[in-house]
Amino acid sequence: MKDIVVKASVIKRELILLGVLFFVAFLMNGLAIVVHQGQWSELLSQLHVVVLLTLFLYLLVLLMRLIFWGIRSAWNAAMNNRNNSAA
Amino acid sequence: MTHMNRKGFLELVSSLAGTTVLASQMPWFGIFNNPSGAGNGPSDRVRVGFIGVGSRGHTLMLNVQDFQDRMNVDIVAVCDNWPEHKERAERLTNGKAESFLDYREMLEKVPMDAVIIATPLHEHAQMTIDALNLGIHVFVEKAMARTLDDTRAMYDAYIESGKVMLVGHQRLFSPVYLKSMDMIHNGHLGSITMMRGWWTRNREWVFYDVPGGRGSELDRRRNWRLYWDYSAGQITELGSHHFQIANWVLGAEPLSVTGSGSLNFFKDGREVHDNFSLVFKYPGGIHFSYDVLQSNMHNGMGFQVLGNTGTMELEANRMFEEDPPKPPAIRTMLHNIESSIFDTVPIGGATWVPDEAVTYGGEYISGDYELNETQLYLEGFVEFVRKGQAPRKLTDEGYNASTWSLVAEQASRTGGMQTLPEKYKIKNYSI
Repeated sequence: MKDIVVKASVIKRELILLGVLFFVAFLMNGLAIVVHQGQWSELLSQLHVVVLLTLFLYLLVLLMRLIFWGIRSAWNAAMNNRNNSAA
Repeated sequence: MTHMNRKGFLELVSSLAGTTVLASQMPWFGIFNNPSGAGNGPSDRVRVGFIGVGSRGHTLMLNVQDFQDRMNVDIVAVCDNWPEHKERAERLTNGKAESFLDYREMLEKVPMDAVIIATPLHEHAQMTIDALNLGIHVFVEKAMARTLDDTRAMYDAYIESGKVMLVGHQRLFSPVYLKSMDMIHNGHLGSITMMRGWWTRNREWVFYDVPGGRGSELDRRRNWRLYWDYSAGQITELGSHHFQIANWVLGAEPLSVTGSGSLNFFKDGREVHDNFSLVFKYPGGIHFSYDVLQSNMHNGMGFQVLGNTGTMELEANRMFEEDPPKPPAIRTMLHNIESSIFDTVPIGGATWVPDEAVTYGGEYISGDYELNETQLYLEGFVEFVRKGQAPRKLTDEGYNASTWSLVAEQASRTGGMQTLPEKYKIKNYSI
């Protein structure tokens, strides 16, 4: 069986991404409180919703990255085939 | 939700002591703040007899037995003209109570302070009057009597005797209703504009299977609730409870009642209606609609008080604000985002909002309670017997619910509007 090695730089990148998305979700909560005239205490009391929103956003970004990687891989494969044919 | 035990109930009553609401709307609860303080000696003992120990009477007897040691009560006699009921009641007291088939013999032979009557409706009047005339306090099951004349005669005998006469509308002693009435009369629901009540079940309502079946003489005597001669069916046996609540909520009696009823399902030889709808009209243009159906139990039973700032569902112990607490802002935002993506074309313009039922679960009116209102009522009765008197309003509540049950029966049987004739109205009924 092949070992999967996750580089420290990848873990660091994903953690930074998760942190950014948490910050975005937290800001959304603040915006919602202003727009819908909620209580400022909801910044803390609704943290569980913010965490769930963070995970949802992370999955969304992951989906987008997978699509992007898929397209890029297909493009690269097509380019390689063309170069090989030309050679 | 807090849990209300006996201590919690007494604290609630105590917290309301001295308030106008308690004094004017439900003065009888004061008895729990100011008990007689009787001792455990024989001279303080309240001697109680039972007339009618069938289904309901048996339950009442069990309730009294539950507190008889604590409250120094003695069940001295039991009476029922069905030998098996009489013997069961006698066994329940381990033979300590004398037992009789004839209530007159019991009242004459056994010295007692009070009697609890739970016989068929048409028998209540004579038994109550006989007991009051002998100086015995009375607790009689609801409704009071089968006819308006009998009901009035009972009330007159009560006034003349100066004794206690209470009618078994046990919600008068319910902690939930105590709390509800306090909130309603303090304007918690704003202006009361309508009341709705219903009682639905899906069963035959037959207490005894008898040889000869429905319509036989034996069935008429045993399943008396099914025949007009002895009962107005669910109007007097069940609806009476809710008519009492409606009067209590508004502190008034109806001006009129319109209704219609029929037998559309249980066509087995019974007479009383298995469904009816009533609309009571109260002062101030307030209406109380009431539906009973015996062939569908989907809605169970309920009683709603609707005001411009809130709704109470008293039987369900729940209250709903017209302007319910807002959900957290983040959830509103996410819901709006979701709606903007997935919702289909709106069914109305920007200014039109569909009148959908409110789906939020509401709040509890009172904490969950372990207290049995029937038992609290009987405890109150014992205390009133000791003191020799009870608040007249308590009896008036029973009287007005009983008379309007019979007026409602006329409305449902004639399909027209009915009012209570002046001669049956009692004075000084006010909030």
